[in-house]
Amino acid sequence: MLRTGRIFQSATAARVPLRTTGRVRMLNTSPTPAKQVVKTDRMRSTAFIRKDLLGEKHVRSGTATSVNMANANPIYYEKQPKLHVEALNARTAITEHAGKIMQIDMPALLYRKCTQDLVDQFNAYKEQGPKRASVLNGKNGIGKSAELMKLASVAASSGCIVIYAHSTVSWVNSSRPYAPQSHSDQFTQLEITSGLLRSIDAVSRDALKKVPLGKAFAIGKRNLSEEHTLADLVSFGIHTPALAHDVLEHFLDLASTQTQVPVLMAIDEVNTFWCSTLYRDQQDQILPAGRLRLIRSLLPFFEGQKSVAKGWVLGATSYVNPRFMPKDLNKKLNPPPAVPLANPELASNPKLLASQPSLPFDIIKMSELTAVEAWVLMHFYHRMNIVSAPVTKDLVAKKWMMSSGNPRQLFAGVTTFI
Amino acid sequence: MLHLLGVNLPDQKVVSVALTYFYGIGPQTARKICSQLSFHQECKLSELTENQLNQLSGVLSEMSIENDLRRKVSANVKHLREIGTYVGKRHAMGLPVHGQRTRNNTKTAKKLNGRLLRKYSTSAFGIFHAPISKHF
Repeated sequence: MLRTGRIFQSATAARVPLRTTGRVRMLNTSPTPAKQVVKTDRMRSTAFIRKDLLGEKHVRSGTATSVNMANANPIYYEKQPKLHVEALNARTAITEHAGKIMQIDMPALLYRKCTQDLVDQFNAYKEQGPKRASVLNGKNGIGKSAELMKLASVAASSGCIVIYAHSTVSWVNSSRPYAPQSHSDQFTQLEITSGLLRSIDAVSRDALKKVPLGKAFAIGKRNLSEEHTLADLVSFGIHTPALAHDVLEHFLDLASTQTQVPVLMAIDEVNTFWCSTLYRDQQDQILPAGRLRLIRSLLPFFEGQKSVAKGWVLGATSYVNPRFMPKDLNKKLNPPPAVPLANPELASNPKLLASQPSLPFDIIKMSELTAVEAWVLMHFYHRMNIVSAPVTKDLVAKKWMMSSGNPRQLFAGVTTFI
Repeated sequence: MLHLLGVNLPDQKVVSVALTYFYGIGPQTARKICSQLSFHQECKLSELTENQLNQLSGVLSEMSIENDLRRKVSANVKHLREIGTYVGKRHAMGLPVHGQRTRNNTKTAKKLNGRLLRKYSTSAFGIFHAPISKHF
């Protein structure tokens, strides 16, 4: 009898080693047929159909071999359906589209009620900008960065000048080059500043061309006349990285004071502006963020010292990396609930009731997903094959309650296999 | 590989890690050198310009590392032995120097202590001041 792992020998067949992973099949019809083990090659995946790959280079990425999804076995993998939704821009950013899935270039995002509120507020500020900046605040995964991205997209499509920085942690985590500035205590980050100018040019090139400089000035060895536009200034900064900081400071001065084109300054992870960075000075002391010239040029807008004549300065906090959320700022953003003291003597003690120093910007508290928004989102996940089960009210209610209306937790709840 | 001051440094390593390949430079000193020259934490050796490499060489050449440091350490131990201190005698005997127990667990001391004195054993000085056996 055949035993797994033992060698089977018959009178007519040669010794054929058995493997525990192999299958055994009958080879011929002799009285004592030889059983040949078909080896299962564990290096070849059964999930993919191998096609003739002559001339096609097998791409390697990192430690794993990238597999061409075109060869995916259709039994196991379904192709992602093509998305046909409206693109989010100034024309489609209307109240009637609240609760719809809309597209920003590649990713698609839910157009929420709070998005419409932000768009309405920005449209109001297009005539006259506020004196103080605003900062979106809320728990992790509530949608602060997404709302900022949607607003920047709407502003860019409506012909505004958009200064959008999606990740300022890379400005302070000592991952990019920096250098001390001569005759100053500041440090420059030419590569990051040049990248920021490039992103401003990419998003708002047409809007920049509409704004003349208004006065002649010199940057380095280049003289710019008053007929030149902001587009020429930004272009000069991109092609001359050594003067990127000077160009950015001039650009911010001119863009914030001009009244031809509204400006949206959208800075994500704005809490990094007040943190201790991972950079060190030449005496090996930790650098505060205010000593980085790039952050110092943007900080006055969030501290109430500068404002935009037409437009809005909007930031969003991030609690993903607590290292870059200063403790005092966290206390001010999330103060403990004020419980009224019953004892009148204690209630009148000024030391106990010391008021928190106010923040230099306004806080916009982000709200959780409503039930209707969760319903739309679940249907979208079902359309994109992220959720395979049919979407019912019970399923949506269950996922919505388990996630407490947090979009990130809702997504995690439908994609995690327990 | 980058050859700097007699040491082959791996190109693809971060500067603060590559500098620890020098004898006499540990993580703290490497970090201080990077701060002094304003190298960010994720800067790799291959990303440094010629000017930055020259600055790095200049800073390293002012420090006591590699053979200079080995010679200093060796001279310090030799001096302690010459003047007949307790520490010198312990080095000569190859026993722990800092008051550790010798009833057991002296393997590291026996392996490492006094090795700087042993290579002088063939000289006239070494003959008269050879490591004293513990059995004497």
